[in-house]
Formats: sequence, C-alpha cells, structure tokens
Amino acid sequence: MFFNSKKNETSVDGFSHLGEGASFEGEIHCKGEIEIAGKVKGNISAKCLRILETGKVTGQVNAEKVEILGCMIGNTDCVSVHVGEKGVVRGDLKFETNLSVAEGADILGHVQKVKKDKNKKVDTEKVRYLEHNQKAS
Amino acid sequence: MPSVILNHTILKGYLNEKDSVSIDGTFVGDIKAEEIIIKDLGNINGNLNASANIEVNGEVIGDLSSDKIHLTSFAKVKGKLSHKNLAVDEGAQLEITAQTRKRISNLNKE
Repeated sequence: MFFNSKKNETSVDGFSHLGEGASFEGEIHCKGEIEIAGKVKGNISAKCLRILETGKVTGQVNAEKVEILGCMIGNTDCVSVHVGEKGVVRGDLKFETNLSVAEGADILGHVQKVKKDKNKKVDTEKVRYLEHNQKAS
Repeated sequence: MPSVILNHTILKGYLNEKDSVSIDGTFVGDIKAEEIIIKDLGNINGNLNASANIEVNGEVIGDLSSDKIHLTSFAKVKGKLSHKNLAVDEGAQLEITAQTRKRISNLNKE
C-alpha cells in the first residue's frame, strides 16, 4: 500500500449483506456476520454465515455458525448448522455441536458430526509450515 | 436490497451488483454496480465501474468510471478517473488522472 493510514479498529454490529442483485466470484473472509441474498461462487470463511432464500452459494464454506435458508452447493464445515425449510444443500455437512433441519429441507450429501479437532488442525498446519520451511531452505 | 460490506470483511474477486454497493471493508478486485459508496474504512484495490454514482470516503487504488464521482475530504485515491461530473472536497489526497467524457455514457446506455 502506498498510503500510510491509521485505521481505528471499531467493532461491527450487524450483518454484512450481499444483495439480491449481486453476483460475486472469489473469496470472502469475514470476521463477523455475513448475509447472502445473491449469488456467490467461491470459498467463504466467516464467523456467522446466513444464506437467505434468494441466496445461492457454490463453493466451500467454513464458519462457526451457518444458516442455510437458500441454496448451498459444496461442502460445509462448521460448529453449528441450521437448514431452513426451503434450504437446499448439495454437498457434505460437517458440524461439531448442533444440527437442525426444518421440515421440507432438501439435503443431498454426507451429514456428519465431527469431533472438535482444532488442536490437531493447528498442529498439522504447523507441521506443514515447518516442512515448507525445510523445503525452502 | 443494496449490498453492504462492513468492516472486518475481506472480499477477493469480482462483484457485479444491479443495485448499489456500500463498502466499509477490504475489497481486492473489480466492482460493477449502479452506485458504489466507499465508506471511511473502505479499502479497495481494483477498478470501480458504476452507471450512476461513485462516492469515496476511504481508500481506492484503481480506475474509477462513472457519470458522477464524488471524492470527499477523507478520500485517498490513486488511479484514472473517467466521469461526466466530478466533485472533490477539500482535503482529499489524490494521485489521479481525470478525464471528462461527453458522449460515451450515452453509448453505454443504449
């Protein structure tokens, strides 16, 4: 960046929102909450993700809390997940604690409760990092 | 409903929105919309193309193209502007080349 600016860190209340007329291709990293009413192609990582009835997501999702009221194509990895009555899921659902599915939801794919292996993940990342460093040096 | 991207959100890619977009987060890539508003904490690295209006309060590195462009006093912009109507407030930090167009936008509308 050619700008040297001071950024005051403010906490955010509410959802980021991708509107109905929006189509986005690429990555989304959100430290807060995000609502999707449009089309997204690509991977999403967020703290809290809500796919609204008009929303359509194609890609991998990694979030703490996921609500699928629209269409989700791809694998979902999360702590708790809710699929609404008009929710459509094509792909695997992996959750750590809670799963709730409303009557009428359409799911095709593996639904699996996984154990909390956050420490393991960190370890494997560390190992990869070390391996990478070794290769580089 | 228009799109709103809040702070602490990073988007990488291409966004196409029929309505208006308001960004307070980080965006890497191009945006096309009817109206684009970059808020105070917004940080864009890419080209903005709006059919009606662009308003910048934050930082933009890239080309801006719109009928109406408004750079407010907190704006930091680097790139090329193509516009019919440009407004720059006192205090804006700019590194731009600007061009006023006359008939191009009529062609786009047809």
